[in-house]
Parts: sequence; C-alpha cells; structure tokens
Amino acid sequence: MDKNMLAGLEGMPEEDKMRMASMIDQLQIRDSLKMYNSLVERCFTDCVDDFTRKSLKKQEETCVTRCAEKFLKHSMRVGMRFAELNQGAATPDN
Amino acid sequence: MAANNSPLPAGVTKEQAFGMAETEMEYRVELFNRLSQTCFSKCVDKRHVSSGLHLYFYGSRYKESELNMGENSCIDRCVSKYWLVNGLVGQMLSAGGQRPM
Repeated sequence: MDKNMLAGLEGMPEEDKMRMASMIDQLQIRDSLKMYNSLVERCFTDCVDDFTRKSLKKQEETCVTRCAEKFLKHSMRVGMRFAELNQGAATPDN
Repeated sequence: MAANNSPLPAGVTKEQAFGMAETEMEYRVELFNRLSQTCFSKCVDKRHVSSGLHLYFYGSRYKESELNMGENSCIDRCVSKYWLVNGLVGQMLSAGGQRPM
C-alpha cells in the first residue's frame, strides 16, 4: 500500500488524480489504524497472561517491545516480497 | 470514442470506475494484511510446537527483536505460496462461477 499505486495514474485528468490520491490516503490511514489495533492485540495475547496486578512486569514489557519490533520488521519484508510478486518479478524457487 | 486520456470499459461511468478502483484497492490491502498476519503466525510466532499429540510451550516468547535467517526464508516462501494459493483460488472461483450450482 504505497506510491506504486499512483504509478498507473499518469494519463488521468488532474481532478481524478487528486481524487485517487485522496482515496489512497484514506485507505492508508485506515490501514495503519487497523494494523495498530491488531498488533496490540497480538502482542498482548502473546506476552501477557499474568493478572495478579495492574502494572506490566518488566518481562512483559520487554516481550511486547520485541513482539512489536519483530512484527514491523516482518511486515516490511512481506511488503517487499508482495511488491515483487505484484510486479510479476521472477524469483528463484528456494 | 472516449475524449479523455484514460478510456473506460464500455458501459462504465466514471463514478463506477472510481468505485471499482476503491474496491480493488481495499481488496489488495486486505490481502496484504491477511497474508502478513498468516505468515507471521506460521513463521515467526513460534510459541507452540506440536509434535504428535504434544504441544510444547516455549517459556521465553520473542527472545529477540530481530528476525533470524530461518524466519526470513520462511517469510519469503510463505509469501510466495500464499500468493500462489490466492491465484489458484481465484481461478477456481472464476471457473466455478460459470457453472450452475
């Protein structure tokens, strides 16, 4: 979900281009918020299951940090591969 | 013939074209999100390892914030396979749609 989407818009009249760009912006915002929510849920589910107190244990905090970082790195990698496949780039089968 | 620069398919208004474009974009975003979630669960989120009837629970989850080589390879392969499955199912859906149920 990025600028590649704008690549096919060259031939359009200006107002249509703006409309598409605004659509893409909206989608990106919505997508970011969705990702935020699902990431929180995932890391909470994976890292927190001790409810003897309200505050987070140090270990839980560390886990959540790593979980989030890991997912974001993963998401970037997936994005790269996804873009390659979208463009029909051939890759070795290994 | 269409006077504008980007010809529309026959019988499609500009509004419809925008609607279809938006739907297409939303589909693509959803595809990406599901792919990402699925491959994370399959490749990175190694909490449970099932061996026969037993579920092993790794004591320390998310030992580090980096992705190791194994996870990287798994992610690449998972994305590739997911993509292929997406294509397969798409083919089957469009072929099946022409047969009366």
